[in-house]
Amino acid sequence: MGFLDGVFKKKDLEIGSPCSGKCVSIKEVSDPTFSEEILGKGIAVKPEDGKFYAPVNGTINTLFPTKHAIGITSADGVEILIHVGLDTVNLKGEHFTAHTEAGATVSKGDLLLEADLDAIAAAGYDTITPVLICNSGNYTDVVPGVEGKVSQGDCILRIKI
Amino acid sequence: MKTVEYVITDPVGLHARPAGLFVKKASAYQSNITVKNTENDKTADAKRIMAVMSLGVKQGNKIILSIEGEDENTAQAELEAFLKESL
Repeated sequence: MGFLDGVFKKKDLEIGSPCSGKCVSIKEVSDPTFSEEILGKGIAVKPEDGKFYAPVNGTINTLFPTKHAIGITSADGVEILIHVGLDTVNLKGEHFTAHTEAGATVSKGDLLLEADLDAIAAAGYDTITPVLICNSGNYTDVVPGVEGKVSQGDCILRIKI
Repeated sequence: MKTVEYVITDPVGLHARPAGLFVKKASAYQSNITVKNTENDKTADAKRIMAVMSLGVKQGNKIILSIEGEDENTAQAELEAFLKESL
């Protein structure tokens, strides 16, 4: 094991958790759009507070007008979708406050979005938040970094190049 | 090259789920397929989810698919049917 191992072995790319909470398999998400990985491979977080942060250094690709989902392209080219809650598109932006905009450059840990989780749950929506790699096909694999309790910024997905 | 024009009727536009289903459908064809939002003149590769979502397609926006390749006739017919049914 020489220092050259580190030079020649391609390093995994790490995606941080956008929020603090409990990390679970994407298969546990009750919406097949996510659990069948139609939007890409990923993981889900049950958020414990309503603050969502940038999971990587990158650029905001998409902020839906309904503010319930954000697309980010990392500086390495990984395309990440954070989708706060299930079917929350129907809330039409209610209970969500955006702190960023499409085209913005962000650093890992920047606050992107706040959601009133209690109000969203009271309106009848599951607040589980899938984090998906939309360009999964470009990589060898996307694997969970951790399961269980996480803090914002902890590695939850590893991208194998 | 074949084209399909369609005005989005879904009240929430081309959001995550329909964008995912559309990209999955488009990816099944060999043809090169692009989708343009005529509202802002942005064009994206129809096989890339993030690119399609970043077009910001809303209800009432007209999109144009441009399809070029061996299976362009099938792709044109089936994608048009898919848009009418789902969006």
